[in-house]
Amino acid sequence: MKDKCLDIGIIQAFLDGEVSHDASARVSGHIALCDACASMLAEAEDQSTLVFSALEREFNTLVPTQRLWSKINGSIATERDSLPFWQKVYAFLTVALVNPSFAAAASLVIVIGIFAAVWMNRTPVSTDLAVSVSPPPQTAQQISTVSMPAVSLSSPDTDDREIEPARASTSDYRVERAAYRSESRRTNAAPAGDASATISNGYMAGEESYVRTISALAKTVEEQKDGGILRPSERIAYERDMAVVNDTIAKMKTEVKRNPKNESAKQVLYSSYQNKIDLLNSVSQKEELLVSLK
Amino acid sequence: MKEIIKHLLLSAAAVAIVAGLSLPAIAHYGVPAPVDKPAVRAPGRSLIMRGDTSEKSVKADGSVRLTLCVTQGTLKVNGWNRKEVRVYIRDGNKFNFNVREKNETTGDPNWITIMGVGNKGRYLGGSDCIWGNDIEIDVPLNAIISIKGQETTAQIDSVKRVEISTVGGDISLRNIAAGISAVTRQGDVTVESSKGPIRLDTTTGNIVVFEATPGEIGDPFLAKTHGGTISLQSVQHRQVEVGSISGSVLYNGTILNGGSYNFNSNRGSMRMLIPADSSFQLQATFGAGNFNSELNIKMETENIQAGPIKTIVGRLGTGGDAFVKVSTNNGSISIRKQ
Repeated sequence: MKDKCLDIGIIQAFLDGEVSHDASARVSGHIALCDACASMLAEAEDQSTLVFSALEREFNTLVPTQRLWSKINGSIATERDSLPFWQKVYAFLTVALVNPSFAAAASLVIVIGIFAAVWMNRTPVSTDLAVSVSPPPQTAQQISTVSMPAVSLSSPDTDDREIEPARASTSDYRVERAAYRSESRRTNAAPAGDASATISNGYMAGEESYVRTISALAKTVEEQKDGGILRPSERIAYERDMAVVNDTIAKMKTEVKRNPKNESAKQVLYSSYQNKIDLLNSVSQKEELLVSLK
Repeated sequence: MKEIIKHLLLSAAAVAIVAGLSLPAIAHYGVPAPVDKPAVRAPGRSLIMRGDTSEKSVKADGSVRLTLCVTQGTLKVNGWNRKEVRVYIRDGNKFNFNVREKNETTGDPNWITIMGVGNKGRYLGGSDCIWGNDIEIDVPLNAIISIKGQETTAQIDSVKRVEISTVGGDISLRNIAAGISAVTRQGDVTVESSKGPIRLDTTTGNIVVFEATPGEIGDPFLAKTHGGTISLQSVQHRQVEVGSISGSVLYNGTILNGGSYNFNSNRGSMRMLIPADSSFQLQATFGAGNFNSELNIKMETENIQAGPIKTIVGRLGTGGDAFVKVSTNNGSISIRKQ
């Protein structure tokens, strides 16, 4: 055994426990008899101790086992399922929009969508214009049934309740588009003679002329204001003032019905009618002024 | 995250620019513009106008009528003691004087129209209208001014009579000698130290009047706003008609003998500040609000029972035969001593 010393590689493998059982017994036997190999083993042990002490923290780090990985994956899946929809979308977008191409495509879709919406909203305006250029001939009753419901948009409980033919179909007129009004107008048309008689009924002296004037004006104004004659702020103010006037008219009409001798209520009613006419006129006058400046 | 937002914004801006450039072409070739509909979008006051600066003057009759329309700008009209009309426009269009009529005796123009030149396609129609950042006009003191405006802030001082109608913009009138008719759809109207029949009308603005007197007996004073407040101080007219739909009314002045005063509002409050020795017949009608007076009222009829409308008819003082009618549906009525 003394004739041939062990290779340092075998000694290292012996130290690391990487040799077979028989080889390990042979190496152990040789080192017991060979001082040089024993010395090499001691040297290798010292070096190993030094290296292992340096790498101790690294070696002590916990390595996740397969079971641990399964647990982690399970938790992630559970958490993902419990996330609200918008958080999932947000997470998706966060990942997806990092890509400039995807971001550009998304922006393109948004912009096209906005333009499409604007474009589609222009169509009813053109329809209104066409209607206003060549209005169909109408009877007085038709005018009333068309315009009065439009007035009741801002305040449903207004004086319009008095007009019997319009009453049943008031709710149908809540859509502001001109096309829909045209449809309803045809279905609610009544013979002119009957219409006049109905309008004349139930009004105080002088009230009918107010109602007729308002009806005629309201028709025009509805088309004008839907056509964009009013700016948004003006439109809001107009609707607010119209609601106030309609509210007053409704209250006063109820009061006059209850007590026909209440002159104050009548005066306020007439005054409110006049305010309504002025309000409607203001829109027409604005358009006239704009046209005159053209 | 910042990177994402940056990408998104840059992409959106690029796409919007491309779409914005291509849209006019699409609109031009694809869909015909509605020709019958008047363009209603005003140029907007923030628009930086670039135009010419020009000044012209013309000899005119002392009682010249001056007609003009202004699409945009700040207009100042000032009366001066000369028989001459001078117009100065800064950063605006060029203009000419169009003499419509001459005084048969003197031969001086007594009706002049200011005509804008080279306006077509610039703003809303307005081929005859003028525009500019600053428009200054000097006219004889007895001139009659007739103005139509679109987006015009107008200040008029020391002329005989004013007729002005604008779509938007404040109107300020001062020292008008023989009558005012001022209408604006969106803006305040202010009148100061003026005479004659006065008619003020605004849709969404306020009306403020200080020292107005009639030129002749029977000259009316009419003030109407839909959404604004009306404040009157020292109005000497005997026929006063004041109305607001949702605004309040303040009257601070005297109630003249023989006068007829009518103040009404649908939703606003009515407040009167009058001398303690005022004498007149009062009819106060109110709904949801209340009525109170610092002056003693001798009640003639009173209907203040439950209901949507209450009325008080009474007399203040003795001897006066003025009639004051105050009406509000939702506001309160208050009469106070000056």
